[in-house]
Amino acid sequence: MSKTTVKFQLRVALASVIVVVASAAHAQWLTLPTPGTPRLPDGKANLNAPAPKTADGKPDFSGIWHSPSQKYLANLAADGIQVPMTPWAQQIFKQRADSNGIDRPSASCLPHSVTDFDAHNTPRKVLQSPGLIVMLYEGYHTFRQIFTDGRPLPKDPEPAWFGYSVGRWEGDTLVVDTTGIHEKTWLDDAGHPHSEALHVVERFRRVNFGRMDLQITINDPKAYTKPWSVAFQWELMPDTELLDWVCENNKYFDVLPKER
Amino acid sequence: MRSLLVFVLVLALQVAAAPVFAHHSFAAEFDNKQPLKLTGTVTKVEWTNPHVWFYFDVKDDTGNVTNWGMEMGGPNGLLRAGWTRNSMKAGDVVTVDGFKARSGKPLGNATSVVLASTGQKLFAASSQGQ
Repeated sequence: MSKTTVKFQLRVALASVIVVVASAAHAQWLTLPTPGTPRLPDGKANLNAPAPKTADGKPDFSGIWHSPSQKYLANLAADGIQVPMTPWAQQIFKQRADSNGIDRPSASCLPHSVTDFDAHNTPRKVLQSPGLIVMLYEGYHTFRQIFTDGRPLPKDPEPAWFGYSVGRWEGDTLVVDTTGIHEKTWLDDAGHPHSEALHVVERFRRVNFGRMDLQITINDPKAYTKPWSVAFQWELMPDTELLDWVCENNKYFDVLPKER
Repeated sequence: MRSLLVFVLVLALQVAAAPVFAHHSFAAEFDNKQPLKLTGTVTKVEWTNPHVWFYFDVKDDTGNVTNWGMEMGGPNGLLRAGWTRNSMKAGDVVTVDGFKARSGKPLGNATSVVLASTGQKLFAASSQGQ
């Protein structure tokens, strides 16, 4: 047996071991205790403990969060709030409703955007550093950046799927301004539309260890005759980890006919 | 034995309550006015994002066998609820509740899958209601 063959076989053996170990560890990570989590006497996460602070005294939003229901993903106006659509927006909204949302970007494996990800029930990991907050979304395996380093929003931005986000602290509340969101994205699964004039304001406040209050305000004079807001909560998901999510099997999109 | 049963029941309830993943519009693909209930033998399970799909052979009254394909929720919610890619295997006999595809082809969306051998409820995480 040549030296090369032995080397190759060793590599294959090593690769097999890595695959086996990795899949075992993968399963364990879903229940691995998250370091820094306050605990109750029974060992469970104390979700009612005070919200933590970072070294510079700001509220620390770090952790894996999600919206516990799909209510607001399905429709940001689910609480019956008045959404004052312009005729332009009404026409698009009606077309999307009439076609059962078949053209929703996510149906083609394109990611959600700012407001619909806020309302999404899949996990997102928030990473916080002094000048930047990053949201790693499990769903669609994507991310969003919110700069808190004082930079201004770009003027006349190139439209982007997640736009451009800057955040500032008002007391314990993080106020995030986002502009430059591409018109292709939907505000929610109901199909509330927006134009490139959209300016989203999000207000995040970590009420305690396990709860984040969130208010979203939609400003878009082309689509809505006045600003409108929705408020809901995120829950912390303690002792878990993000999973892989790649849209590898979208076959239904090919095999099922489209009702248009 | 009793604690095992309780565990299984709790797991089943958790899965039933697990939030489902909104990937595409249910109504665009499936018809909630066309429920289905079928029993057959699993031929293949695709443990993939964004949806788990499985296929099973269903025999009708005249002995004809049709291979049905059923869509479920995503695997990540199922993993967090304690299921794995081995929870349902080819050869398992299952009873499936769900809704038919609008296309009329042997395709559907599963809302409930019960293992015939044990009565255990599997993978009850449909993508309906989105």
